[in-house]
Amino acid sequence: MARLTTESTIYVTYIATTPEKCWEAITTSAFTKLYFFGRTVESDWNVGGEIAYRSTDGNTDVQGKILECDPPHFLRFTWHVEMIPELSHLPDSIVSYRIERAGEGVVRFTMIEEHPAPLDERLLEGGRSGWPLILSGLKSVLETGKMFKADPPGPPPAMLEYFKELRK
Amino acid sequence: MSKSKFLYVTYIRTTAEKVWDALTNKELMKTYWFNMHQESNWTAGSSWEMKDSKGEVWDSGKILESQPPHKLVISWQHQHHEVTRAEGFSRMTYLIETAGPMVKLTVAHESDVENSDLIAKVSGGWPMVLSSLKSLLETGEALPRA
Repeated sequence: MARLTTESTIYVTYIATTPEKCWEAITTSAFTKLYFFGRTVESDWNVGGEIAYRSTDGNTDVQGKILECDPPHFLRFTWHVEMIPELSHLPDSIVSYRIERAGEGVVRFTMIEEHPAPLDERLLEGGRSGWPLILSGLKSVLETGKMFKADPPGPPPAMLEYFKELRK
Repeated sequence: MSKSKFLYVTYIRTTAEKVWDALTNKELMKTYWFNMHQESNWTAGSSWEMKDSKGEVWDSGKILESQPPHKLVISWQHQHHEVTRAEGFSRMTYLIETAGPMVKLTVAHESDVENSDLIAKVSGGWPMVLSSLKSLLETGEALPRA
């Protein structure tokens, strides 16, 4: 029996950079391409405006609306997965990025993925396997200036099981 | 199933051997663990201690499992604060896996105590230590102390 959850996923990483550089790395495609599996990010960064992550072939992978935007410290937006057809019926999640100074030349970066509407707990595994890879890349790109080349992890086993049940 | 758990994954551009070395080498540890270090001979059954720069023991326990360079399990009891010490032993696992040109390092720290104070405390510390370790292995420099 599927268990529903509203549990959040939180990931914290410390990066040797400035809040301004870190903000640039999450809001400009020149940077996101280097660590977000080649994806670009597009938005006018105004509250109520759209945000989209697009793949290299131009397809929209994730679409959302900006809920809060306070450069260079806080961004919060709705997150609707378009890239996996089995997930397009799901209610929006909310993703936020918080950037805080944590000593001289270091920022604490916090990503929170919230699920205001209950969803099958197996679906949390998608974010839980993807975010560590993406945000490890964000840190590497900011600290080394080099691209962080990684293949997208693909749906984890728990999610594949969910897809199989959907098709029944 | 443990009652309190901290789980963290980081990907580091290096080799499994270098991660193992950094996690078990006392001198390297001092650079990224914010002046703390651990003492052990890192074989199953041997004792394990976490000390500050004055030599005071903050945590101690023993090595439960050791498979260099891929897996290390430590039974871990806090010693410095009485309330946390009274929780007894927690269990900390490092899993070091090769993932293409990178290493996937997983840290799982678990306790059988519900709402464990130790797990709450280490949940704040681990991201800092592991971020600093990643910086050290990728850039040659650990993060400066906050």
